[in-house]
Amino acid sequence: MNSFIYQININFKRIILRNKRFFLFDMMLPIIFYLLYSKVLVNGIPQADLKTWQMNYLISMIIYSCLLGSIITVANTLLEDKTSHFDILSRLTPLPRWQYYLSRILIFMLLNLISAIVICLVGILVNHLTLPIANWSLIILISVLGTTPLIFMGILISLANNPATVNLLNNIVVFPLAIISGLWWPITMMPKWLQSIGKLTPTFEISNIDQSILHGTIINSHYILGIILWLMIIVVITLLITKYQKHKELIIE
Amino acid sequence: MTSIVTVEHLNKNYGKKEILHNINFTVNKSQIIALIGENGAGKTTLINILLDLISSNSGTVNILDNEKNFKERIGVMMQQNISITRITVKEILKLTQSYYQSPLAYEKIIELSDLYDLEDSKMDKLSGGQKRRLSFALAIAGNPDLLFLDEPTAGMDSQSRTKFWQTITDLKEQHKTVFVTSHYLEELETIADRIMILQNKSISFDGSIAQLRVLEGESMIEFDSKLLPNLFKDMPEIIDFKKVGDHYKFTTKNAELIIGQLTPYLNAINNLKVQQNSLDSLFVNFNKEGATHE
Repeated sequence: MNSFIYQININFKRIILRNKRFFLFDMMLPIIFYLLYSKVLVNGIPQADLKTWQMNYLISMIIYSCLLGSIITVANTLLEDKTSHFDILSRLTPLPRWQYYLSRILIFMLLNLISAIVICLVGILVNHLTLPIANWSLIILISVLGTTPLIFMGILISLANNPATVNLLNNIVVFPLAIISGLWWPITMMPKWLQSIGKLTPTFEISNIDQSILHGTIINSHYILGIILWLMIIVVITLLITKYQKHKELIIE
Repeated sequence: MTSIVTVEHLNKNYGKKEILHNINFTVNKSQIIALIGENGAGKTTLINILLDLISSNSGTVNILDNEKNFKERIGVMMQQNISITRITVKEILKLTQSYYQSPLAYEKIIELSDLYDLEDSKMDKLSGGQKRRLSFALAIAGNPDLLFLDEPTAGMDSQSRTKFWQTITDLKEQHKTVFVTSHYLEELETIADRIMILQNKSISFDGSIAQLRVLEGESMIEFDSKLLPNLFKDMPEIIDFKKVGDHYKFTTKNAELIIGQLTPYLNAINNLKVQQNSLDSLFVNFNKEGATHE
């Protein structure tokens, strides 16, 4: 157990505390977007709808931040572990493989939690948004837990083992996912066929659960099942690829 | 003697390409074994199989009686340096120690790997030689009984190398077993109890350096003389004859016979030197013969 706590401690320092990329990219980018579209470029929005827009967009940016953290930061961190030989070092020790991944997954979730809290604070302090503390907590919790499939997607992308391919896959997945699931602009602005694809994405599903909490409506259980299904599919694909790579001895550099 | 590594009839192919063929050897406790071979001979593949990182196509490997937690008792210094960003030397050592049930004391790791004053340095800011020493520190952190060292001194300065090999000799005194590969054969010559040459996919020699010398039996004879080369070049048992100016250089398998034949000319010979071949040249000759026999 001491070993596990030590791993959490070290991973917290290197992945969050000393990682400027996390603060600049995962946190600042959604905050800048949020301030820009909820404070600066709001001329066309009627005053009566402004608060709702600011609240809805806050949720989008929380999920966008978790998306960046879960895919780009996870894939890059795990790839860095491989290129720096941290991964092989731990495989040569008695450390169980599940501990290696669990210690990182918990840190990635913490990273998403920090981003979500900071973005909520920006909404509260800058746009004076108000919600009961229980609702704030639930929105943050759902966003962090709901993006778990995305963390596994980041793990899956890191299995490409090549920095150029990982970068390419990050860009292919993250930005289209953000756009078609309506995180940047409302999904209704897109063609119908694209909307129907967007509604199947995990980010759309999390966003809808959060919106239900925000507006006090009933959470659609399809969205919860959808997230669980995404998690299962991505975990199975990750395990199959890992098994294939081990069989083909692609994991030894 | 207790055998802690046993390899029998081990074969490894990558696709249709055969990398290792019928490898057999045992490693006894408290020995330093040097595995040498040309680049691409399959040394790292063999080590990766021993470490259970990749599997063989056939054959058996028994390490530390195939204990389930054998990784508790091995330490590995890989050929590649470990260079993790945003972590200090102290942090990675403490982390690695935490993986083991009975790790080596932190102060002892620092002492053996000579990492004083570098404990608070970030790993990625270390020089090549310092990274090598850190890799060694990580290998011994678990207080292993069996150490695998793959090119351990590459990138180290000569002072660090001397100190490193002294540490390895000390570890052997403490009944540790060391399995090492290196291109610096002159270093292995002084510390290895046993040499294994990996050549043409198989272990072509397995024995002490003394046994390799008997097998190869070559010596180098050098002297200066103004006498004509005709007097020397047809002497029996000379393998290689060279003359540059007044300097003569022979390679022979029978130094005693040649010295006997030189005796009549000793008055006209200066700076006579007889030198046994280094491991380096023994290895080169051995490889040449192996290639000829193919």
